[in-house]
Formats: sequence, C-alpha cells, structure tokens
Amino acid sequence: MERPAPLGYGLGLRPVYYDEILASRPPIDWFEIISENYMLAGGKPLAMLDRIRADYPVVMHGVSMSLASTDPLNVDYLRQLKALAERVEPAWISDHVAWTGVHGVTLHDLLPIPYTRESLAHIVERIQRVQDFLKRRLVVENASTYVSFVDSEMSEHEFVREMAERADCLLLLDVNNVFVSSFNHGFDPVAFIDGVPAERVVQFHMAGHTDNETHRVDTHDQPVCDEVWALYEHARRRCGDVSTMIERDDNYPPFLELLDELQHMRDIDARLSNERARSAA
Amino acid sequence: MKLADFQSLFQESVLAGSGEADKPLLKKLRSSPRGATPETLLGVYQSGYRLRLADFVSQDHPGLRAVLGGEAFEALIDDYIDQRPSRDPNARFFTTGLPDFMRDCPTWRDDARAVSMALFERAMVDAFDAADETPLAVQALAEYSPNDWPRLAFDFDPSLTLLELAAGTIASYDAAISEEPPEKIDAPAASDDVEYVAVWRVDHESAYRQLEPDEYVALCEARAGHAFGDICQMTAFQQAGEIAPERLAQCLSSWFQDGMIIGVRVRGEDQSSKTPSSA
Repeated sequence: MERPAPLGYGLGLRPVYYDEILASRPPIDWFEIISENYMLAGGKPLAMLDRIRADYPVVMHGVSMSLASTDPLNVDYLRQLKALAERVEPAWISDHVAWTGVHGVTLHDLLPIPYTRESLAHIVERIQRVQDFLKRRLVVENASTYVSFVDSEMSEHEFVREMAERADCLLLLDVNNVFVSSFNHGFDPVAFIDGVPAERVVQFHMAGHTDNETHRVDTHDQPVCDEVWALYEHARRRCGDVSTMIERDDNYPPFLELLDELQHMRDIDARLSNERARSAA
Repeated sequence: MKLADFQSLFQESVLAGSGEADKPLLKKLRSSPRGATPETLLGVYQSGYRLRLADFVSQDHPGLRAVLGGEAFEALIDDYIDQRPSRDPNARFFTTGLPDFMRDCPTWRDDARAVSMALFERAMVDAFDAADETPLAVQALAEYSPNDWPRLAFDFDPSLTLLELAAGTIASYDAAISEEPPEKIDAPAASDDVEYVAVWRVDHESAYRQLEPDEYVALCEARAGHAFGDICQMTAFQQAGEIAPERLAQCLSSWFQDGMIIGVRVRGEDQSSKTPSSA
C-alpha cells in the first residue's frame, strides 16, 4: 500500500488565526483547510491561503461531498473541488463516511447511515467514482454519530475496513470521533482502532467535544480531553508515523494554546518512540 | 428499509424538528447504552441543523438583527429556514437568498428598511469573496488622447454592487456594527426617501460609500458599458446645474481612487454606445 509521506504535526487553518500565522510563521508542519471555505471566486480567503500555502504543505478536507447520499454525485461541486486542488496542490483530499442531504437539499451536517451491505456497496461505488474524477486516491474519515440503527448489519469499524479495501481508498482516523461514537453507542474504541486497516490510515484528527452526560457531541470547541489523548497513544502505536493535527472550530483559544496541544502530541510521540527504542534494544 | 427511503425519512425529521413526524424514524434507532432517549439523540441533529443555519444568517446580517430586534430577527430566521432549505453544498451561500425571500414573503416584504438592510448586507458578503481583479490607477487615462475621451468606456471590479436603499439604511448599519451597538436601532419614520450606495472590495475587505443621485446614475450607466460622452448627455447631469463633463470627470476620478475601475477601452466607430437608459 503506497501512502503519501507523513507531514508531521498540523493544524486546521481557520480565518481567526490568519494574521498570527502570517506574522509569526509558527512551527507547524502543515495545515488542513476546510475545502468549501475556499471554493470561492476570489477575495481574502483565497489570498490568505495562497500566502500560507507558499510556506506550508496543505491538505484539503471537505464536509459536503456527501459520499453516502442516495442523491446523484454533485458534479459541479466536484469540479470546483478539483479546481481548488489544482490551485492548492494538496498532499491529499479527504471527506467523510456520511451524507449531507437528499432531494437536492443540504443539511450542512455529517449525517449517519445504517451499516448495511447496501450502504457499503453504495459508498464504495461513489468513492471509486470520485477517485476517478479527481484522479487521486480519496482519504475518508469516520464521522461522529449520535444515533445508531437497528438495520445495521455490521459494526462501524467493519464497515470502514471493508469500504476502504473495496474502494481502495485511504483513511483519516478521527480519534475524537472514535471516542465520541464509542461513548454514544457503547462500543470499545480500542477495538475500533484495532479493526481499521492501519496500512491505509494517513492522517489523525484530534479535537475536543462536549460532554452532555448521556451523550457526547463533536463540537471542536474544547481542548482534547484525557480519554482522547489516551486513545491517541493507542492509535499511534497501531498506525505508526501518521500525519496528525488539531481541529478547533469554535470557542477559539489564544493561538499559543493550540501550539501547546501540538507540543503535547509531540511529547507523547517522543515518549512512545523512546519506549520502542528501549524495547528493541 | 432501503437506504434512499431511510435518508428521506431522516431528512424529513431533521427539517421538521422534533414532533409526531419522528415516530417512524425513532423505531429504527437502537437504544442508548447511556440512558439518553432516542428523541434526545435525534434532537442533536434537529437542533444542530437550525442552530447552524441561524448562525450563518446572524454572521452575515448584524444590521438586520439590529433593525428588526432580536425577537423579530429570530422569527425571520425561522421562516427562512422553514421555507428555503439550503440547496448549495457550500454553507457560505445559504444566506444569499434571504433578501429575495423577504421580498416574496407577505410577513416581511412591506418592511422596506429591513429588506434594504438585507440587500445591503448581502452585497457586503458578496463583495468579500467576489472574483479577483487588479484596479487601475487614474494615470491609465493618460494613455488616451482628449479626442478619445467621449468614447471611453470602463470595466468595473466584479465585487461592485450598486444599490438603491431605503433612506437611513447605512446609518443604521454603521450603528449596528459600532463597538457598542444599541440593542435595537430606531427606525426612521417610514417614507419613500431613498439613498444610493456602492459596495465593493478594497484590500481584501468589503467597502461601501453613499453616492449622490447623479453619481449613482452615472455609475450605473458606466458599468452598463456606456461611453463617457454618452453619459454626459444624460438628463441627470443636465439637471444638476453643473457643466456635465466636469462633474462626471470628478466622479470618474473618485471611481479610480476607490479602486472600482479595472479596465478602460475606446468604443470603436462601429460599436456605438447604447443610449443611456436614463438619458
């Protein structure tokens, strides 16, 4: 399995941090953009992206491809995405195991599906068509979900594994999403991580979420919690050297706090690396 | 249940919000191991949908909120979300249809100041990410001989929108985005008075400027491709009591200074300028 080279430690690029990034050129290895935020005719977002792209690798992460929708693939959307990719030259392009709407409507959310054979065949076929259109392998992320369905015929990680292998796509493992969904549905998050094909994982997402006691919601408005850091260690042990990053989309902290979270990630990885070196000695 | 049927059912439930319509979908949900009710978990999607769309509208329309007041603004958002579900995969464009919705909707169409504010704020948002062009300096005119001036026509930045708004719209907007905005902006007495505004982009940020009536007419005609000499003949300039070419040259100079003009050309002998619409 040929995978893109690891990029190191990255951050979700958000407009609130443009000035700080351009002024200080922080020690961040790469940035992830939300593709749709730059699928525009022109203006500040694209100008800022061009300047940041000149100094940093960038990957494109979409939220509207609607891979699991039973609506036809939105070819106009894919054309715009491809045009942006030609401008940005991202290391890869990602989206989600999710749908965003049907009958021409979009709910601007990553909606859940029953994990059935029909859903699997459907999303596999669409990923393949998208890959053919974009002329590159797609990276597909596990989404957070809050409901699960009696019609499901397999677990989420079984679905993701078979999807990746049949579509021959790559995976973005959102560690926080694994934790949130495992809490909400009562599955073992470690078993999830052990169940996905590690050789296809090219990226980790780390983020915070909201604890509503009976359920947790993927809000990206908090620091990464201890349980998710623990799960990150397990994911790192299993998947090895994978590009990893912090997502923050609300309740924005001072930029230095995000750099601290990245440093925490580096510290964990350094410790794991030392452990491996000691056990190999 | 087939995937397509499931997705239709799920979407209907999210669009409708919690209620009786949820029952068929609730039967399809597994019970929560944490004791959350199925209604609560489905509600994450239902409430998230409305909160997200409401947030898009609020971000783009601080002036409209101020003009209407919080309660009426939220009622407008509810109406808009109910009646105009988003159809663009890019959330940025959800709010684009709001002014047209207000003009179509009996509840909102008679509030001229609110509709005006919505139109103005849409132009501000549109200017922000309109296509990129490079503005010309006024020195570009030095390339043309005085004999060519009557036949000069101009190309304008794609971010430029010209608006005829209810009088007081811009003052209300300025108050709404000030550092200490009032809870609600007092609406001026209803009248048929109007004001004219240009919205465009300067240095990556949306900009706006009120226009005198004659400048608004001239700018509309110039942007429609009419030549300098033809615009000089317009009634609006004849009635202004000024020497038309001088007043228009003054306007032209400010359009260059504002960065609105991106191209100058001489209309060919065989390509006469169309008759200005308000001449």
